[in-house]
Amino acid sequence: MDSKEVKKWYYVLPIISILMFIVLWIFLSIPADSMIPSPKETWLRFADICVHPISQAILIVHIWSSLRRVLIAFAFAIFLGVLLGVGLGWSKTFYSIFDPVFELLRPIPPIAWIPLIILWCGIGELPKIIIVFIGSFVSIVLNTYAGIKDIDPLIINAGKVLGANKRQLLFEVALPATIPAILAGIRTALSSGWMCVVAAEMIAARQGVGFLIVQGQQSGDTALIVACMLVIGVVSMLMSTFLSKMEGVLCPWKFGKTK
Amino acid sequence: MEVRKNKIMVENLCKTYHTNSGDHEVLKDISFNVEENEFLVLLGPGRCGKTVLLNILAELEEQDSGKIIFDGGRPEMGNIGLVFQKYALFPWKTVMGNVEMSPKLKGVDKATRQANAQEYIDLVGLHGFEKHLPKQLSGGMKQRVGIARAYATEADIMLMDEPFGALDAQTRYSMEDAIINIWEKNKRTIVFVTNNVEEAIYLGDRIILLSSRPATIKKEYKVDLPRPRSYTDRAFLELRNEIVANTDLDV
Repeated sequence: MDSKEVKKWYYVLPIISILMFIVLWIFLSIPADSMIPSPKETWLRFADICVHPISQAILIVHIWSSLRRVLIAFAFAIFLGVLLGVGLGWSKTFYSIFDPVFELLRPIPPIAWIPLIILWCGIGELPKIIIVFIGSFVSIVLNTYAGIKDIDPLIINAGKVLGANKRQLLFEVALPATIPAILAGIRTALSSGWMCVVAAEMIAARQGVGFLIVQGQQSGDTALIVACMLVIGVVSMLMSTFLSKMEGVLCPWKFGKTK
Repeated sequence: MEVRKNKIMVENLCKTYHTNSGDHEVLKDISFNVEENEFLVLLGPGRCGKTVLLNILAELEEQDSGKIIFDGGRPEMGNIGLVFQKYALFPWKTVMGNVEMSPKLKGVDKATRQANAQEYIDLVGLHGFEKHLPKQLSGGMKQRVGIARAYATEADIMLMDEPFGALDAQTRYSMEDAIINIWEKNKRTIVFVTNNVEEAIYLGDRIILLSSRPATIKKEYKVDLPRPRSYTDRAFLELRNEIVANTDLDV
């Protein structure tokens, strides 16, 4: 095969891969007692929830309720996470004070917080936002911290020699240099935040995609469950694509094309 | 011969690093003067402590003992130009952004500092590249930005730490011509560090030869060749052989 033909394969193979997945899926859904809904059933159920409300909301409203929780939690997680990450990376004193506590709390899975948070805050919007916050905060802190630690010392020296005072060194040199790392943190945080919101909604919610899945479970509606699972995957994929585009816009010097 | 005043006087500079693997003496009793608007070259084998010496001059590090006396008092941070071997440009800033950084940090208003920066960008031959990011530039062009950025501090002392060490041979030759050209158009006091004998003779008014670690001053050479110099000139080659014979081998 010449290289042109090889290249063609790289376009064809993903399509074959998805087709095979669908074929396998159809095959598994054929038996009469199968717990797996067929692609067609799933698609029809999906089309149905797009127009017919469940718990007084059509699909897009459910997606928006989940997304809204993630975005609110995110605003806080980015602000506080960058603050803590920069503090840890920039000041040895700050690091000595806060790192031990952070290291202790960090490995606790966000989902393990759910019972406690529900006891504290009930089952309104707040507990879900807090869970998502916990889920996304950690990776933003870690990435920001690593980003600050990773700055080329030469760049810092260049800033000093050019006359930057301490504040300027942080805001004009260190922070801009850390933006790519912060963006990487946001990307990881977004996918873990999205997972957390679904988990939180499965435990207590009246709206949201996690809630829909639980509805499916309670009514034995596997088509609804699978349709929602796919929706979760697609939303996450779209968010990730959006972030990649944002990286190119916010950080052309790192992610943009050379020419 | 005109008598030029001394811009920097370095007296008995010493520096030792204390590490877990023992003490490493880097600089030993270094004394020399730099005259105003002189192109002084510090020539020494690799890793002999030349960078430490420059960092001390640039106030990035402190000496253990010895004195540095600057004519007109020790300049504040931001009033000495330093050109790095590995460019150390701010990758998120354009050529203009890099060059105008020092006046910006000092609070010079935008119109003034950009007009000045433009002059230095033109001086180093990067007119038309103002909006380029460092990653869009070749090594030689990056170092031109580094030189313009150092010049834009308006400092009268420029320290250059093996600025062409990372460039390929062809680019290096053209950059050597470029720096002489820049310096002749806009005279500053330059302390230029290199490990390359030919480069030292091609550029310097005076060469201070350093020994291998710990760095001490072995000898001083006055280079009285007219510019532009030629690598194949007889006097050039004689001086080269003399210096090479005196140089510690870098292992």
